Amino acid sequence: MVFSRLFFIYIFLPLCLLCYAAARGIKQKNTVLIIFSLLFYAWGEPVYIFLMLVTAAVNYTAGLIIGKYQGKKGDTAATVTAVVYDLLMLGVFKYSGFITENINALFSCSIPVPHLKLPIGISFYTFQTISYIIDCHWEKVKPQKSFKNYMLFLTLFPQLVAGPIVRYSTIEKEINERSVELRDISCGLNRIALGLAKKVLIADSLSTIADSFLGNIGGSTMLGAWYGVIAYSMQVYFDFSGYSDIAIGLGRVFGFHFDENFDHPFICKDITEFWQRWHISLSTFFRDYVLYIPIFGKRRKYGGLFLVWLCTGIWHGASWNFILWGLYYGIFVFIEMKIGKKNMKKIPVVIRHIYSKLVIFIGFGIFYFEDIGKLGTFFRTAFGFGSNGFIAVQDKISLINNMYLLILAVICTFPLISTIKKVSDKRFMSKAVISSAAAVAAVMILVVTSIMLVDSTTRPFLYYRF
Amino acid sequence: MNKDNKNVLTVKDKNRPADENKNAARPGPAISIEASDRDKTAIDIPIKAKKLRRQRRKTALNSIALANILLMGAVFAGGFVYVTLLPHETRADDENRMLATFPKFTPKNYISGEFTGGIADYFDDTVHDRAHIKQFIADNISPLKGRKYGDGEDGAELYGNGFVPKSTAAVTTAAKTTKTADSAVTTTETAAVPETTAPPEEVPEQGELTNNILIVNKRGITLYGGAWGTEKEYASFVNQYKEALGSKNVYSMVLPTSSSFYLPENYANLAYSEKADFDSIEESLSGVIPVDAYNILNAHKDEPIYSRTDHHWQPLGAYYAAEEFALMAGVPFADISEYEKVTLPGYVGTLYMYTQSATLLNNPEDFVYYKPKTPVTVTQYNTRFENPVAANLLLDPSSMPNSGYYMVFGSDERIVHVNTECKNGRNLVIFKDSYGNALLPMLTSSFENIYLCDIRYFDLNAIDFIDSVEATDVLFAMCSFSAVGGNRSCIRNNLTK
Repeated sequence: MVFSRLFFIYIFLPLCLLCYAAARGIKQKNTVLIIFSLLFYAWGEPVYIFLMLVTAAVNYTAGLIIGKYQGKKGDTAATVTAVVYDLLMLGVFKYSGFITENINALFSCSIPVPHLKLPIGISFYTFQTISYIIDCHWEKVKPQKSFKNYMLFLTLFPQLVAGPIVRYSTIEKEINERSVELRDISCGLNRIALGLAKKVLIADSLSTIADSFLGNIGGSTMLGAWYGVIAYSMQVYFDFSGYSDIAIGLGRVFGFHFDENFDHPFICKDITEFWQRWHISLSTFFRDYVLYIPIFGKRRKYGGLFLVWLCTGIWHGASWNFILWGLYYGIFVFIEMKIGKKNMKKIPVVIRHIYSKLVIFIGFGIFYFEDIGKLGTFFRTAFGFGSNGFIAVQDKISLINNMYLLILAVICTFPLISTIKKVSDKRFMSKAVISSAAAVAAVMILVVTSIMLVDSTTRPFLYYRF
Repeated sequence: MNKDNKNVLTVKDKNRPADENKNAARPGPAISIEASDRDKTAIDIPIKAKKLRRQRRKTALNSIALANILLMGAVFAGGFVYVTLLPHETRADDENRMLATFPKFTPKNYISGEFTGGIADYFDDTVHDRAHIKQFIADNISPLKGRKYGDGEDGAELYGNGFVPKSTAAVTTAAKTTKTADSAVTTTETAAVPETTAPPEEVPEQGELTNNILIVNKRGITLYGGAWGTEKEYASFVNQYKEALGSKNVYSMVLPTSSSFYLPENYANLAYSEKADFDSIEESLSGVIPVDAYNILNAHKDEPIYSRTDHHWQPLGAYYAAEEFALMAGVPFADISEYEKVTLPGYVGTLYMYTQSATLLNNPEDFVYYKPKTPVTVTQYNTRFENPVAANLLLDPSSMPNSGYYMVFGSDERIVHVNTECKNGRNLVIFKDSYGNALLPMLTSSFENIYLCDIRYFDLNAIDFIDSVEATDVLFAMCSFSAVGGNRSCIRNNLTK
């Protein structure tokens, strides 16, 4: 099920909220959430839901064993077994086709290529459960003894299929004990409206531009290639951060406080900072669980770094362009590490902004083109070696036709709302005025977004495919 | 009462006395305390006042939050009622399609996800009064994206990126099919839309403009991207027919689109020349008689020969092209005055469906068609030339969606046989795309029998069919997008079925 559908917003969600409000006590409320989460998942994956249930059972059991044999061989065995199982499932369903194709190409053989449908959200829930197992092993959290509670952690529908990757430690306490105040609900609902608007009003509109100019890259001018890739970069940001907003908002309505997943990444001044602001739950996952894997000996600082970026690339998709994309960012982070934070700060801010945006936009070019040939055409066109010149009338028409949308999108990449909130929170009157205005704005945004949904062909969130 | 509600109420209950204090005795406590025992309470007063103030502020913020929740709740409740309880729409005339229906449950449907997906599709697709909502979007929301390029009447909107050299070929093909009834005849009505098909890998980096629509001067124009060699393939396929048919007359009439006649000069580089490709086709034909529709249409371009809101021509355009063909074929041709002219106002065609442009929606046009006065006998068959059913030449527009263009023809997915009162012994087979449909009424005074076959929906060997109906003449009549696009392969494939 997709959040940005009338069916979800006006049928599934109201029914879920009603049942949740009617349930008595935390146990009943948790039961309601699990039932609706399973329904939510089964709506799109009537078969693969069993794969998720098996994964839940395996990891729950492993968690219990880890708890029982803490620090002993049984602990390690259970940890290894669970992590290997999780990675194996991810590998089979996500990468088996890609690996087979490459083996066939490399060794000129013809092993049948499996064409398995990717279970929705497998990349997200697999990482969630791996973090749980490793945290249990490291004794950062206590293993969950109730299977029902473990199911709630793993299947909670707001973040089940496209993140953020919620750590068990984040919601451990809230599973059994959480309170919801009026302001939690209002902020949560407003956040849902904001996320929907980001997706429906901005990201979907930008996707038309991106697909026009990148989808037919052979016909684009140099300006058209940059225009397309900038539109695509913003599309991915609004699409994914919009989903995260909805997830965080839904969580808050139910009394969960998920960590932020995006922090206005386009205002970054370097690539290291970009990744501290972009898909934070994924970056921190790799930082905490992969970066310091002791497999590179003395060179583990840099070895770990490139391993992280290789994993980041592979996680995004079974395609060479994603691997290239991950390593591409690895190289820039490595260079910035070598330059050092102090030296980086000496570079004028304007130059750092230009450098970081250039790297980011080109990065999204790599992200867009799974066909390496087309990626080459993109590079040639973007750097002035294309066959269609610098600018053409179609670029001008599209820019003018979409100028207000583009201005709005650029403005929305800045931390306007958080800045206004920070300032208004200092005084009661301003806080009251801004809260009232936010309420009215959220209602209007939700209405306009819903109207737009009547006219839209369903565009799933981009990160559904990862 | 659940725990969360208790929490909510607790907050409310706590706040109630504070509200009462606020209203009833705001200056009271300070005065009374001051009066009774100022020295002893000198420290207490500010603390209590602060507490009261904090309490009051909390209450105010909670009230705002509650109002916020109620407002959002009202939208959710209203949305629930609107999406589930109000009558569901069944068809979208502006999109020329039937809307989703509630799926039937079968275990297979459920396992594949079609059932659950179908339920969501049903509620999303059949929203009450969706046509007006869409019009509201086109009028009020979509224009907020930006301005038209240029000023006033010249203002342009572009859908697609305009210039698209690539290896794909544009195809005018059927996309959505709706069933409609015409008296005793059940027929299928098909919307033809430009779509792309898989690129032929052997022709890399060649040009084609597909799915790019420029709206300028209140007219939508599908931008032609050039054949880049495929026009010669088209000619060779048609030549194969001539070789196989020997003495029969074979004609090729490739029809230009509005891209040739209505693209303003300042946007000329957005499209390639159809005329250049037509000339190339003519050079490559061998034994096939070329029919030049381009020049005659160009001569009449100031008349309403092309739709402004549809990617097709208007029947008047077909009339002029048919006249040119009749001249080449040496057959009689009825003057336009011998037809009954019917005008359908308020027509908004396929280009609005693709672009959702308010400019097109708010500037409908007249759809004008011509009914032959002479009686004809029409029989329609399936694509294997089986199951004959008596039919009307023109369908009744009253039961049809807004796309009046199809009213003239009925559908593409059938073979139509027209027997006329013209007894000249000439039998014509037309291989066409949806453009070719409009020619049929215009040739009812020219041939004794006419067989209208769509190249995309034809399940017989074309040569065997031509022989079996004793055709004397074979006409290939399709728009440039079909002739040089992926549809051209249908012409070849129909030789080997």
